[in-house]
Amino acid sequence: MSRMPLYLKERIEEINQRALLFNYETNTLPKWEKVIITWIALAIFWMIVSVSIHWQNILIGAVVTFLVSLLMYDMFTSDIRRKGNVAIKALRIIFLYVPQYIFIMAFRLVESNLKVLKHAILMDINPGIVKIDSDLHSHTGLTILANSITLTPGTLTIDTVRGLDESKIYVHWIDVETLDREKAGAIIKGGLEDWLKNIFW
Amino acid sequence: MIEYLFLLLGTVLMISGGLGVLRFPDVYTRLHASTKCDTGGAMSILIAVAIVSEAPMLIKVKFLILAFLIAMINPMVAHAIARGAHKSGIKPKGVIDVYARDGF
Repeated sequence: MSRMPLYLKERIEEINQRALLFNYETNTLPKWEKVIITWIALAIFWMIVSVSIHWQNILIGAVVTFLVSLLMYDMFTSDIRRKGNVAIKALRIIFLYVPQYIFIMAFRLVESNLKVLKHAILMDINPGIVKIDSDLHSHTGLTILANSITLTPGTLTIDTVRGLDESKIYVHWIDVETLDREKAGAIIKGGLEDWLKNIFW
Repeated sequence: MIEYLFLLLGTVLMISGGLGVLRFPDVYTRLHASTKCDTGGAMSILIAVAIVSEAPMLIKVKFLILAFLIAMINPMVAHAIARGAHKSGIKPKGVIDVYARDGF
């Protein structure tokens, strides 16, 4: 690999990039599933914001949200990973993954708050900014990962750099334990990234 | 009874956040205190309000929507403030700064 001519190396990199892009394109959902997912999400939001459950209200909401979802179906759903039957996957997301995430994050949020209290009283801090890698490369997945890292104990996301297969996250760590990228990533991300990979790219 | 528990937890977390903002040395460590403790405190106070209010069910759900929005928006605001502070040249105190070394 080291003695390879330069033009061949560039060609191989280009082919790798195109294979990644092709993989990305074929693994997104088809159009009608995107429209239906957006429609259901918008209809639930309509029901919560307009409090009444009269049938005229529900009918108007269904028509309007269907029109909106025909226009904007690509905005939220293009980052969802395509795997298996869509109905089973939706049920698994609603009844397994989302309660799991809320349960984990509630306890980690309380733990991080108590840790801030401990640091504020004892002042045993050792801050620094470290860089970790991430396997996610969609907008939504990377955003949720960065937000979750901010809410877990001792870490604060400063910036993310998104790229196909080379996403990076810069994290301000209040008590730096290690400077090694792999170990720091394992400590900071925990099980969150594996959880997010079930749903998003 | 459980609403008093949530209210007490929220108040304690808010006070600890204020203590952290007063005692920590620079912008980034203060952001730790303000972001996490505001999120946890406001969410638990909102849950207590949702339990104790005598409104119909659909209105109680609105409080939970509010808690969800706070949990989504607060980390993004912290990211914006930290990145803006770093871009305007405030050096973080501490052992290492990879973000400045990478040329941002």
